[in-house]
Amino acid sequence: MIKFWNKRLELGVLTENLELDNELKAIQKEIKDQVKKKFAGSLAIRMVDSGSCNACEAECNALANPYYDLERLGIYFVASPRHADVMLLSGIMTFNMTPHVKEAYAQIPAPKWVITMGDCPAMEGVFEKTYAIKAPAKDHLPVAHHIKGCPPSPKEIIEGLLEFLRKI
Amino acid sequence: MRFIARYAKELESRFEIVTVYEDAIDKELIAKDTPVIQTLAKKYPAAIWFERKMQDDFGIIIEDAFDKRPLVHQERFPKDTHPLRKDFVKKSLQEGNYVPYKYEAIKGDGIFQVAVGPIHAGIIEPGHFQFSQAGEDMLHLEVRHFYKNRGIEKMLEGKKLLEAKPIIERISGNESIAYQICWRDIVLQATQQKLPLALQKRHAFLLELERIIHHLTDLGFIPNDAGFGAALAYASKLSEDARRKMQEITGHRFGFGAIGFANGFMDIASISEWLKELRESVVAFEEWIMDIPSLWDRFDTTGILSLKKALKYSSVGVVARASGVTIDRRINPFYLEHGFVMASEVSGDASARFKVRLEEVYNSILMMENFLEEDDTQLSLSNLQDGEYSSFCESSIGELFMTVDIKDGIIERFFVRDPSFVNWQAVHLMMRKDIIADFPLINKSCDLSYAGNDL
Ligand code: SF4
Repeated sequence: MIKFWNKRLELGVLTENLELDNELKAIQKEIKDQVKKKFAGSLAIRMVDSGSCNACEAECNALANPYYDLERLGIYFVASPRHADVMLLSGIMTFNMTPHVKEAYAQIPAPKWVITMGDCPAMEGVFEKTYAIKAPAKDHLPVAHHIKGCPPSPKEIIEGLLEFLRKI
Repeated sequence: MRFIARYAKELESRFEIVTVYEDAIDKELIAKDTPVIQTLAKKYPAAIWFERKMQDDFGIIIEDAFDKRPLVHQERFPKDTHPLRKDFVKKSLQEGNYVPYKYEAIKGDGIFQVAVGPIHAGIIEPGHFQFSQAGEDMLHLEVRHFYKNRGIEKMLEGKKLLEAKPIIERISGNESIAYQICWRDIVLQATQQKLPLALQKRHAFLLELERIIHHLTDLGFIPNDAGFGAALAYASKLSEDARRKMQEITGHRFGFGAIGFANGFMDIASISEWLKELRESVVAFEEWIMDIPSLWDRFDTTGILSLKKALKYSSVGVVARASGVTIDRRINPFYLEHGFVMASEVSGDASARFKVRLEEVYNSILMMENFLEEDDTQLSLSNLQDGEYSSFCESSIGELFMTVDIKDGIIERFFVRDPSFVNWQAVHLMMRKDIIADFPLINKSCDLSYAGNDL
């Protein structure tokens, strides 16, 4: 245990507060301000996978790692749509998932927004239409904002969230 | 004889049912108007999903099956629709009448059902788990998947093998390199070419890098699911570092597009330096985590898959090795020369699966050091020949099997069996002695893919 704390002190704070990367620093500050102004300091996101390859989820999980630490900015991934302000939708909207995605959306209390992430839900990626696919998501849900990429990197997701916050 | 996969294909006038074993392939031709076969599930329980899948995909009747419920086709899927048949060409489907799915359930006084999913509480893929509970004790679990079915097999039909790659590498994001390597081996078979050693090393390096990214993520998430979040903070830092290396080397954080036939630049000095640091960090992680008795109290004896059951259910990969089944597609001269050592445990519980991953991270670091090489070899591909090809690769989850038929230069049938497809079928066996609160931990300790399973 002692060894661990030594190592811990040696490492210091990892979060990219980025005195170096002024761009991200500015983004993070603005996100914090916007979340404060528009969502009383806490923006709750319900992530829903409608048929992804799981890389989009992996990048959302990465947002919690010590480099990005999104919660610091007042943005939380919540366990239930009933606790959410925003649905963050990844994946290709499969035939089998579509009714469940719509149900999850219905469970989010208004006002609510849908942000799609990754090329899949917009049907802009490599997957082609088959009988098992119902994308694009905007045919089924009112999509307020889209974050491009395959997958979008954690930094691109953060930037995308800021664009969304500015927009609303 | 280990059972590996069973799938159907449609020929001109018949269906062919192919069964792949460890060292044999069995082919059975059946008439199209009476497409009837016998089940293999009595001997190989993992055959059940393969057979239920071909029943949905092709309308093949498994005469003596004890489970004839649909598998891929869910409540709203139109009846009598068999999309993998060649005469099925629709690009969209109308929802059919809602037919409830009959879950396996144990019934009795005080026994109740708990339905979990398809959408889960965390940031994870969708799938459904149906528990029969006596209080906190899990009596039975049915794992139900295929919510993510994208129709990959049909999507790839009619494409050239080289055009299919961007789709194949996105079937399961965490295993992209492994899928690409299976694809590569099929391309090489179809062009009758051999891969230069230097390229083989580069690809093997990337496969191990993918494995450590995936394993490190799990080494954080497994303790996290036992309530020990600090491990996740530590391990997710290491996996982010590794993911950035993947970006640096391949131009993509998941290595999409990374496996090709030209060698590229690798900054050997900086990679070696990073591998050294990584090894030290993992040692520190291990010393720390092994020393936390309350954590091991949760891991030990939780979610046991016995050796006998693991063999019976044809389990593969980390799950199998943690139960004492010593299988790994990397047992071959190339890997052995570069330092491959099989990681295995015998207790078959969450502890064992955690430890196998930890051992594999060390071994992957060692092999990666041995794979590093400055080189700019290129291979120009000759023309692809028609034929039936198949390949294997050990992904971070386990043995991946891919098979492609090429006819007139285009894909006639594509089938891939993710290691998850067999391992999911053994997950219910792990629940018998545990309480429902252990389920997330047990599930995470296996960390199977839903996307690769559902196709
Ligand atoms: S957008 Fe790309 S990374 Fe995201 S789910 Fe789709 S294929 Fe995977």
